[in-house]
Amino acid sequence: MGVAANAVTLPDGQDGDPGRDPGRVPIPPRDGTRRAEPGDSPGDATAAPILEAHELAVGRGGRPVLAGVNLRVGSGERLALVGANGSGKTTLLRALAGLDAALAGVIQWDGGELPRGSERVRQVGVLFQGETPPGFTVRELVCLGLGLDGPPSGSAAGLLGDVLGRMDLDPLVERSCAFLSGGEWQRAVLARSLVARPGLLLLDEPTNHLDPARRAALFALLDRLRGSVAAVLATHDLECAATCDRVVLLGDSRVVAVGSPSEVLTPPTLASVLGIRVRRVDDPEGGSPFLRVVGPS
Amino acid sequence: MTRIGVPVVVLVLGALCAGAMALGLSIGSSGWRGDALPALFAGDQIITFLRAPRVLTSALCGASLALAGVAMQTVLRNDLADPYVLGIAGGASAGAVLSLALWPSLPPGPAAAGGGAAATILVRGIARGPYNPTRLLLGGIAVGSILASLTGLVLVLAPSERLLRSATFWLFGGFGTPVLGSLTVPAVLLATSFAWMTFHAERLDRLSLGDDVAASLGTDVRKTRAGLLTIAIVLTAAVVAVGGLIGFVGLIAPHAGRGIVGATHRRLLPVATLLGALLVVAADAVARTAFSPREVPVGLVTAAVGGPFFLWLLQRRRAWA
Repeated sequence: MGVAANAVTLPDGQDGDPGRDPGRVPIPPRDGTRRAEPGDSPGDATAAPILEAHELAVGRGGRPVLAGVNLRVGSGERLALVGANGSGKTTLLRALAGLDAALAGVIQWDGGELPRGSERVRQVGVLFQGETPPGFTVRELVCLGLGLDGPPSGSAAGLLGDVLGRMDLDPLVERSCAFLSGGEWQRAVLARSLVARPGLLLLDEPTNHLDPARRAALFALLDRLRGSVAAVLATHDLECAATCDRVVLLGDSRVVAVGSPSEVLTPPTLASVLGIRVRRVDDPEGGSPFLRVVGPS
Repeated sequence: MTRIGVPVVVLVLGALCAGAMALGLSIGSSGWRGDALPALFAGDQIITFLRAPRVLTSALCGASLALAGVAMQTVLRNDLADPYVLGIAGGASAGAVLSLALWPSLPPGPAAAGGGAAATILVRGIARGPYNPTRLLLGGIAVGSILASLTGLVLVLAPSERLLRSATFWLFGGFGTPVLGSLTVPAVLLATSFAWMTFHAERLDRLSLGDDVAASLGTDVRKTRAGLLTIAIVLTAAVVAVGGLIGFVGLIAPHAGRGIVGATHRRLLPVATLLGALLVVAADAVARTAFSPREVPVGLVTAAVGGPFFLWLLQRRRAWA
C-alpha cells in the first residue's frame, strides 16, 4: 500500500517507535481519502461496538458544532478525532463521555444507556486535559476512580493495587498529587480512569503540554492498553493520531473523512481540512518517510 | 509523607475539647471554680444554668462553622471560602440590626438567620444558569456589600446607645446567656449534616476534583452540590441565630484539619469538626475572662487568634498543598 506500508507509526505495516520524532508525522499513501458516508463504521472490522453514535449532533450552549456524526468503536479499538481548533473534537468527546447531552441523535455505550453511579466507571473512563492536582495522595486519587461510596472492599482494593502496579505508581502511593511531576501526575489520572477496568477510555488532548519524553511515555502506556481497552482520543497531534487504528477527521461542522491513518492523513486532505502544507521527508537512518508540517496551506 | 492516623487525632482532639470545656465551666466573670464538675451534676446555679449552656453553645457553634466551612470550600472549590462568603454575613447583619432597631425586646437571632439564608438564596438565584463558582462568589460579594450598606444606614439613622451596643456585640459574635433547650435544633442540624457528609464523603472528594471529573466518576453532581449548599446555609444560619457572626473558624478549622490528616473528607470531617469546637470553646473562655467583668464578643477573640494562626498556616502551606 505504497509509502504507508513502510511508515514507522502506522498501525498497518508498522515497526513503530512513536515517540522518536515528535516533530514529524508518518507519511500516508498518496491515494487520498474517501468522503465520509452516513453509517461509516470505523469499528466494522472488529467485534461488537463498545460505543456507537447514530446521526449525532452536538453543540455548546444549544449552538450546534457538529452534526450527522456516525461512529462505531469496536472493543479494543483506538480511534482519533482530529480537527482544527473549534472543529468540535472536545464537544464530541464530552457527548461521548455522557457529560453533555447530544442535540440530536443517539449514543449507545455497550449497546445501551450509560449507567449511573459506580457502574458508570466500569464502562467508560475519561482523561481530561488541564486538571489541577488536588491535595489527595496518589492512592486516594486513584481510589476515587472506583466510584464507590465508602472505603474499597477486598476486590476493589485488589483492582486498586493492580492498576497502581501496572502504572508504576507503587513508590508514589502515599505522595500528595500536588508534589508529582507532570509525567507522574498523568500516570496517576490515567490510573484513576482505568482502575475500574472500563472497556472504553476517552482522552481529551492527551499529548497537550507534554514534552517529547512524556509524550513518548504516554504513547508507550497507551500501547500497553492496545487491544484490551478501546480508546477515543480528541487530538490535533497528527503523530498521536497516526498511532490509532482509525482517524475521524472533523471540519465544516461535520465528519469529513473516516478511515485508517494512511487513508485519512494525506497531504491533500490535511491541506484542505487543517490548512497545513506538509512535505515528505526521508528518514536518514533508513526508516520510513515522515510528513513534515512546513507551513500553512 | 506519612499521615497521622485519624483515630489518634480524634482521640487527642476529643481530649483537648473535653479539657477546654471543663476549663470553660471552671472560669467565668464570677471567678474560678475548682469544683466545676461536681457542681455541674449537683445543679449549681452558675455552673449548670449559666456556664454549661454557654460552653455547649460554643462547642456546637464551632463544630457547625467548621462543617459549614468544609461544605462551602468543597462546593465552591475555593480554599478561601468560608461559611459567610455567599452573602450570609451581610444578610444576617442586616436582619439582626433591623430586628434590634424595630423590635428591641426580641432576640435578633431568628431575623439574622432568616436574613442570611434569604441573602444566600438570592445570590444563588442571581448566579443561576450553568454552575459557576466564580459567579457565585462575585454575587455573594455584591449582595453582601449592598446589605452591609443597609446595616450601616440603620445604625446611622436610628442611633441609640443600646442599639449600637447590642449590634456591635452581635456583629462580632457573642453567645449571651443561652438556655439548654434552645440548643436542640442546632444540635440536631449539626448531627444530621455530619452524618450526611460522612456518608457521602467520597462523593465530596470527587466533587472537589471539579464537576466534569466528578460526573465522569459516576457522581450526581447537582444533587451532591445542592446537599452541600443546603448544609452550609442551614448550619451557618443556625450559628448566626445563636451566636451572631463568628469569623475565621469556618476558614481555619478545615485548613488546619487538612494539614493534620489530609484532604479526603472521610478523614477531614471529624477532625475539622472537633477543631472548630475546640477553637470556639477556648475562644469563648478567653472572651468571658480576659477583660472580666467586661465580656468581649467571641468573634473578636477567634479573629485575633485565628488571623495569625492562618498566616502561619499559609507559610506552611506547601507542606500539605
